[in-house]
Amino acid sequence: MNHERKLGFWLGALAALHVVIACAGFFAPYDPTVQNRERPYAPPQRLHWTDAQGKFHLLRPFVYAIRVKEGTFDEYKQDLSRPVHLRFLVLGARYKLLGMFPCRLHLFSTDGSPVFLMGSDAYGRDLYSRTLYGGQISVLAGLLAAGLALILGWTLGAAAGFFGGWADTLLMRTGELFLALPWLYLLFAARAFLPLSLSPWRTFFLIVVLVGAVGWARPARLIRGVVLSVRGRDYVRAARGFGATNFYLLRNHVLPETWSVMFTQAAILVPQYILAEVTLSFLGLGVAEPVPSWGNLLASLQQYNVLTSYWWMCLPGVAMVPFFLGYLVLTSALQQKANASKI
Amino acid sequence: MKATKPLLEACGVTVRHAVRRGFGARGQYIALDKVSLSICHGSTLALVGKSGSGKSTLALCLAGLERPTSGRIVFEGRDIASLRESELRLVRPRIQLIFQDPAAALNPRMTALEIVAEPLSLTRRMRRSELEDCTQLLLKRVGVSSGLAVRRPAELSGGQRQRLAIARALALEPKVVILDEALSALDCSVQAQITNLLLELQDILGIAYLFITHDMAMATHLADEIAVMDRGRIVEHGNTQNIVAYPRQEATRDLLAATPRILMPAGAI
Amino acid sequence: MNYVLRRFGHAVLLLIGVSILSFLFSSLAPGNYFDEMRLSAQISQETVSALRTHYNLDRPLAWRYAHWLGSVARGDLGFSFAYNMPTAPLLWSRARNTLVLMVPATLIAWLLALPIGIWSAERRGKLPDVTVTLVSAALLVIPDLLLALGLLLVAVRTHIFPTGGMVSVGYRDLSWGRRLQDVVLHMALPVTVLVLSSLPTLVRHIRAAVADELETGFLRAARAHGIPRRMRLYRYALRAAANPLIALFGFSLGTLLSGSLMLEVVMSWPGLGPLLLEAILARDVYLVIGGVLLSTVFLVSGNLLADVLLYWADPRIRAERGPA
Repeated sequence: MNHERKLGFWLGALAALHVVIACAGFFAPYDPTVQNRERPYAPPQRLHWTDAQGKFHLLRPFVYAIRVKEGTFDEYKQDLSRPVHLRFLVLGARYKLLGMFPCRLHLFSTDGSPVFLMGSDAYGRDLYSRTLYGGQISVLAGLLAAGLALILGWTLGAAAGFFGGWADTLLMRTGELFLALPWLYLLFAARAFLPLSLSPWRTFFLIVVLVGAVGWARPARLIRGVVLSVRGRDYVRAARGFGATNFYLLRNHVLPETWSVMFTQAAILVPQYILAEVTLSFLGLGVAEPVPSWGNLLASLQQYNVLTSYWWMCLPGVAMVPFFLGYLVLTSALQQKANASKI
Repeated sequence: MKATKPLLEACGVTVRHAVRRGFGARGQYIALDKVSLSICHGSTLALVGKSGSGKSTLALCLAGLERPTSGRIVFEGRDIASLRESELRLVRPRIQLIFQDPAAALNPRMTALEIVAEPLSLTRRMRRSELEDCTQLLLKRVGVSSGLAVRRPAELSGGQRQRLAIARALALEPKVVILDEALSALDCSVQAQITNLLLELQDILGIAYLFITHDMAMATHLADEIAVMDRGRIVEHGNTQNIVAYPRQEATRDLLAATPRILMPAGAI
Repeated sequence: MNYVLRRFGHAVLLLIGVSILSFLFSSLAPGNYFDEMRLSAQISQETVSALRTHYNLDRPLAWRYAHWLGSVARGDLGFSFAYNMPTAPLLWSRARNTLVLMVPATLIAWLLALPIGIWSAERRGKLPDVTVTLVSAALLVIPDLLLALGLLLVAVRTHIFPTGGMVSVGYRDLSWGRRLQDVVLHMALPVTVLVLSSLPTLVRHIRAAVADELETGFLRAARAHGIPRRMRLYRYALRAAANPLIALFGFSLGTLLSGSLMLEVVMSWPGLGPLLLEAILARDVYLVIGGVLLSTVFLVSGNLLADVLLYWADPRIRAERGPA
């Protein structure tokens, strides 16, 4: 019981993270492409609750407006005479909630000067907003690619396991080929031979299909194993004995056994594929500017000076960690559940 | 012994399995070698032999679940070994197979009711209530109380599971039921109960049984005829009393010698 | 021996299969190296076509593959357009650098993971085990990209370790001892990242395998017989766990190779990674194929080594091939 509740809690937390990312428009104060050229590489601004006169504003935290110091282009000083209050649930820039519904409501925003909770990048774009939107791309890529790999792997693995014969041998040999290459090298090789400069959205779909198609082998092997073991069981034979068709056997007896493997694989693959998209985009082979993705948000860190002087540019990477943690907990919970039911 | 036309017979059935030995070399393992036997309506034939003699393979062939490499399987005058899969599917319900391990023969995720109802819901179109009624009837017939209907196999005893298997096998009114070591996994007292149930059902429904076992004592108790198998061949076949009294083959003698005899104290009858 | 030969033959077939797959893939590519040139106004169309013919790019796929196979047999792995030289020397020197990272990383990772995993398995459920599980979970959720960037940041701030490359400027002028020290200093960060990123999975699998064995009947019987703990552990439990662990070795090699690809690019280590990336961006076909194949060779050799180890360690495998 305790187990179920723990699992429920973590699932809920993970779902909440996904909801936040999905509703990036709401949680982000600004559009990710809006530039503030006069505030490049601004460091993250600290929120204050007590102002200069000692008054405590609980529901209206504020930051101090920043201005570039004279003579430099990326050093800032706070203007203590200009507190910029955060306002909650305000109408701001237009965006499309979940990509479909036009909306203008934001969780918080400011009047006047922008607030950079996570700092700004070279073009003065708010990194916090970009991280949220970037999460949409990366997490969605991971989810879709994992879905594709699982569907492919499940279909092929079940067919191979159930029908056996030459189809099975062919599938297993081909799968071995795919597994013989180190995963990232395989991905890169496949990416190498596809058009390099496409529109960001085309690239997005391209890498989703690529990552998913390349990753069919491992799930297929696992599903095949399960299907093979179920196929030989007496109750399947008995069902055949009263006239069941192959389709019936697959649907009613074999496939229900594969669910737990599928879910566990999903929990393992999604973070892996999120990371795949991030790696590809980081190295310039994935989603490109101006569409933000966690990968290309981190790409500027390849430059030495950015890495040393503007540490906040790492923060989009840190945003990945709670997601991975959630998936890790989900995976181990699912695996424990699978082990328990084996006994 | 009823002198009627055989209901189900195997004629010269041979089954060869391809076996890979070592690197590339391929051998053939002969599981059944020109086996012939016949089962008549309403009778009980016992097939006795030690492990590995090919009994289960023969059972699968007779039930239409495996195709022999050569030979014929004739059921009600038709050679089912040569039928297409779609036609064979229609014949299979009439020859049912009950397995040795009742736990493996029942889907652990299904309830008793679902298990027994499965053949019915598969082949007949019935309303839910009709299906339930039929299933409850079947359960009653095999001695499983209706309170157990919602339990899963893991919550039932070995004897109860085997009763479920029997109920399921009877659902489609088969003519022949093949029991492949169906009692071997049960306790002695449970064996006796199930045996009695089987004999009862045979009297009521007129089913023919092929009783596969390695236990000669059980075979003599249940069957009119005995066939002895050894290494893929039928080595002896005949009336039960004759076989027991005058065993001719070594295999038969070995099997008879292996049966435990309970010595009655002197003076008891 | 038969077994080893079979595995070797299998490995060769795998490599051939991969090479065919790569070639097939490359033929689907909508562009090639000379497309970039075509866009340039200074180079005439005839020159481009002449170049293409010169490099046999307009011959059919099967012909190109056969030709390439032939040259592989002679030790030549195709031609790099970008570098204007045969790919083989480029690949070998970079591959050597990748091995310089991979081999120590694998060794260190296993040398650390084995004792930790075993220690954790013996104390299953107790505090040390829980600590180990938590720490490896923490490491697991930090993507290696982030680890690499983080360590680089630390390097920059503390000035202890160099922040990229394999050797310092003026390497050639150093003595042998100094040279070694220089390389080791440069290696330290990448190897650390590789080790840290692979440690959690290794520890978890080792712990699971050993713990499973420790709970089996025959181990309990050994304890009842009074066999000392150390002998129980090394003679019995580890031997029995060898099978899954050796399979794990092969698998971990794959993940390490993939990890090193990205790591080399981030930390400017002159290995196969950056070379492959460059080749991809320049559409240098034979270099890409060569790089991918070389990485496959590493992985397949590693797995072959694992198979041989398994044969030596697990008598059941030897028995399988017994009376044929």
